[in-house]
Amino acid sequence: MAGTHDHSSGGHGGAPGVALRGHAMGLASRAAFTLLPAAALALLLWALGAFELPQVWRTPWVPSLGIDLAFRLDGLSALMLLLITGVGTGVFIYAGGYLAGHPHQRRLYGALTAFMLAMIGCVTADDLFVLFLFWEMTSLTSFLLVGFNHHDQQSRKSAQQALLVTGSGGLAMFAGFVLLAQAFGTSSISAIIAAAPAAEATPALTAAVALVLVGAFTKSAQVPFHFWLPNAMAAPTPVSAYLHSATMVKLGVYLVARLDPAFGAWDWWQWTLQAVGALTAGWAMVLALRERDLKRILAWSTVATLGTLVLLVGLPGAGATAAVAALLLAHALYKAPLFFVAGNVDHEAGTRIIDRLGNLRRAMPWTATAALLAGLSMAGIPLTFGFVAKDAINSAKAAEQLLPLVQIGYGVFGAIAVAVAGVAAIRIFWSHRGMKELPKAHEAPIALVLPPLVLALAGVVLGAVPSIARPLVVAAAEAMWPIGTTGVAGALERPFDHVLEPSFDIASMVGMLAVTLVVGAVVYFFWDPLHRAFDRVAGRLDWLGSAAHYARILKAIPRSAAFFTRGLQHGRLPSYSVALLLAAAAFLGGAILVGGGLLGAGMFDGAFAGGGLALPAWTPPSVAITGACLLITLGALLAGVFEQRLAMILCAGIVGFGSALLFLFAGAPDVAFTQFTVETVFVIVAASVLLKLKRLGRTTSIRDPRNRPGALLAALAFATAATLVFLVTGADPIDPSLSAYFSERSVPDANGRNVVNVILVDFRALDTLGESTVVMLSFLATAPVLFSLRLARGSRGKEPKR
Amino acid sequence: MKRRMNARVVVLETVVAPLYWIILAASVWILLRGHNEPGGGFIGGLVAVGATVLWGAARGPSSARHKLPFGDPVLLAAVGVLASAVSGIPAWFVGASYLTHQSFMLPLGFTELWVSTVMLFDAGVYLCVWGAVSGFGLGLLAIDDDAGDEGADAAAPRARATTKAARRARR
Repeated sequence: MAGTHDHSSGGHGGAPGVALRGHAMGLASRAAFTLLPAAALALLLWALGAFELPQVWRTPWVPSLGIDLAFRLDGLSALMLLLITGVGTGVFIYAGGYLAGHPHQRRLYGALTAFMLAMIGCVTADDLFVLFLFWEMTSLTSFLLVGFNHHDQQSRKSAQQALLVTGSGGLAMFAGFVLLAQAFGTSSISAIIAAAPAAEATPALTAAVALVLVGAFTKSAQVPFHFWLPNAMAAPTPVSAYLHSATMVKLGVYLVARLDPAFGAWDWWQWTLQAVGALTAGWAMVLALRERDLKRILAWSTVATLGTLVLLVGLPGAGATAAVAALLLAHALYKAPLFFVAGNVDHEAGTRIIDRLGNLRRAMPWTATAALLAGLSMAGIPLTFGFVAKDAINSAKAAEQLLPLVQIGYGVFGAIAVAVAGVAAIRIFWSHRGMKELPKAHEAPIALVLPPLVLALAGVVLGAVPSIARPLVVAAAEAMWPIGTTGVAGALERPFDHVLEPSFDIASMVGMLAVTLVVGAVVYFFWDPLHRAFDRVAGRLDWLGSAAHYARILKAIPRSAAFFTRGLQHGRLPSYSVALLLAAAAFLGGAILVGGGLLGAGMFDGAFAGGGLALPAWTPPSVAITGACLLITLGALLAGVFEQRLAMILCAGIVGFGSALLFLFAGAPDVAFTQFTVETVFVIVAASVLLKLKRLGRTTSIRDPRNRPGALLAALAFATAATLVFLVTGADPIDPSLSAYFSERSVPDANGRNVVNVILVDFRALDTLGESTVVMLSFLATAPVLFSLRLARGSRGKEPKR
Repeated sequence: MKRRMNARVVVLETVVAPLYWIILAASVWILLRGHNEPGGGFIGGLVAVGATVLWGAARGPSSARHKLPFGDPVLLAAVGVLASAVSGIPAWFVGASYLTHQSFMLPLGFTELWVSTVMLFDAGVYLCVWGAVSGFGLGLLAIDDDAGDEGADAAAPRARATTKAARRARR
């Protein structure tokens, strides 16, 4: 394949980007990438025919935490997989034409492939943590894809925004998952769904569900996290069509739908979903009115559709689940083609601003056809799958008592959706409002025309013959019902007959359709005045919006970080030492006071058995130990007297050698040995450095001797606390079982008589390996600091010579 | 090699050459005896650091750096960590868990030699400590060297090439 690729990249040699790093891709490599989703689609269709759902596959992954690498394929997963692989195939073909000759097309395909695999993992995972892993992977690949044109600042900003919003939502969700797994004692999703209806709504469980909802809402761009999705339109069109319309943003809906059987009976779950969904559906559609960019208009209508999906999940009843499944399918079949159409228009006419576009049907007949078919489905005209979905929604709504908010939100959504469909399908292709200044516009190549046409046609075919989609929609709807619910099939039969062979309750149906269409048409015809009026009003309210809050938070974080850093990391070593000593003294002393029962319940029962501080029995120390202690004390006292740093370092060395002697006499020759060596190296290095500093003319005496009493106080406080701790811990006899074990097993298990060394290199070898790595890394971290110090000095030193 | 003449201590400069090798030999001895007597890789490494730092104090940090194996403390430390990490792998071949040390008697004809992966592990610790700590010490000692000085940079990856060139140039 590499050879083909190299050869054909020459064919694209005319592209200016060839000079950049990276190569244009040949047809063969593009086809090879496209084969992946196509093969996955074929495999999926075969598997759906060959196997009974649900299929489960699991293997232990982290047995100590009870996490399985578990995957489960049921109706809902199958529906999502169909979208991922079906739309994915179209996107991969489309990307081949859209970025033909682009030097980084390979990177795009790589990221798209990674994204697709993450999505497949996400919608089949049957373990919370496996799901989370793939979920985060979609966020990361989305970041890469939104920021594909990373030379553009807006692109980078949007990518960062998408990552920050969905990433922080993902963190909240992770916390929720941890709580869920604790509450149910398992992280298996199907087990949790089975157990949840019987579970009591404890505060922990409620918090868990709320956190999971935050994660789902950020991913699916629900109010108030809606602002990131239209900005993510900075991505290339195939990415927008795939990630930000057909698949990734539906993950939030998927998760909520997946958990609906578990928590769907909770009142606040229903209300939250309905309220947030309705608010998003209505408000996002209104925001679409603000836009002039076709892609952003479509993006807002996508947000609104996601809101509708969340709303529908929040509705109880079989009809609602059927409507969710139908709308998921319908939306993918009309919105992805419309995005493709927007991409084609951008690609061939050079702009996506609707004011500059018009009358493109002659130049781009096939694109216009695809737009028309998709637009019909989006508007919900009969004989399209959009109509089937709309009918399902209406019947689901009719079955429930609805909040007024839901009615309003859905009403606004329905009407403006029709208008948006009109803008995308009619205005830019059939109306003369656009300038005639687009002589260069011409039809896009086949790779750009085929995917939207096929997807839009599929929408029409399924609309005409809904029974094809019926088994899938029924299976998906069943997956949104509690496990073990009896009579699911019966409960679903009626709404499904209704959905798939549209009810001929003609009066109500036509009435609803007519109302939506008429209002939609009015919005369509008055799009421009509405746009101007709304833009004026909304422009004044921008500072209230969550996008503005996001920007504020983004600015505040580094500012507060700088504030705290300036306060805490001021770079004065003496102050650090004093703070460290005083804090340690306070904590140790406090622990002893608390533990001793002086302030509360006792912890050190052995040491404070009698109510007071029980000191260890007095045993006179040997001469050697006394000598070592005297040496330590001498060194410490001398260090407090001298002003020259060199002398102080030597005194500190005395303390070190004194402690080494103490270790030696106390029976720890290894430690003593190490201590001697460390002290020697330390004194040599420190003394040499100080000598050099002196030669460089730096002062080597301490700067402010007046601070000494304070320093003495801090040192005394710490010494007192430390002494107390040693006394307290010494009062309890030390448990010798561990050292006895090591002494006993050292020779038979590890062939070594030096127990310390055997522990280091054998019993606890992994710890030692980690410590070695830390030693190396800490050197790696300090080396640049030392080097930059020298650089700074070097440049200063050279200046006078000039 | 620019070094201020007043920084030189002729006696130390002369004595340090034999001393360096004696200390290194001692450090290896400490490393090897460590399994049964007081000693081991960590202490041995520190003693070796003593030798390097001594050389650095007497004849200049970059000269001491060139005397290190691989001529670069980072590389030395990395090789050490790698050796320790690799020493755990043979355990897999006998079905034991990572870092379960394997040993056997190597017949040499006249005697038998006890060989164990634990030696490789400890030698890795030795090299890591030697490289990292002496790199740190030499870095401190070098703060009055000119920044542009060849091979004076502790962390730069170009260290090896330049050290070889420098060594050749000095001859």
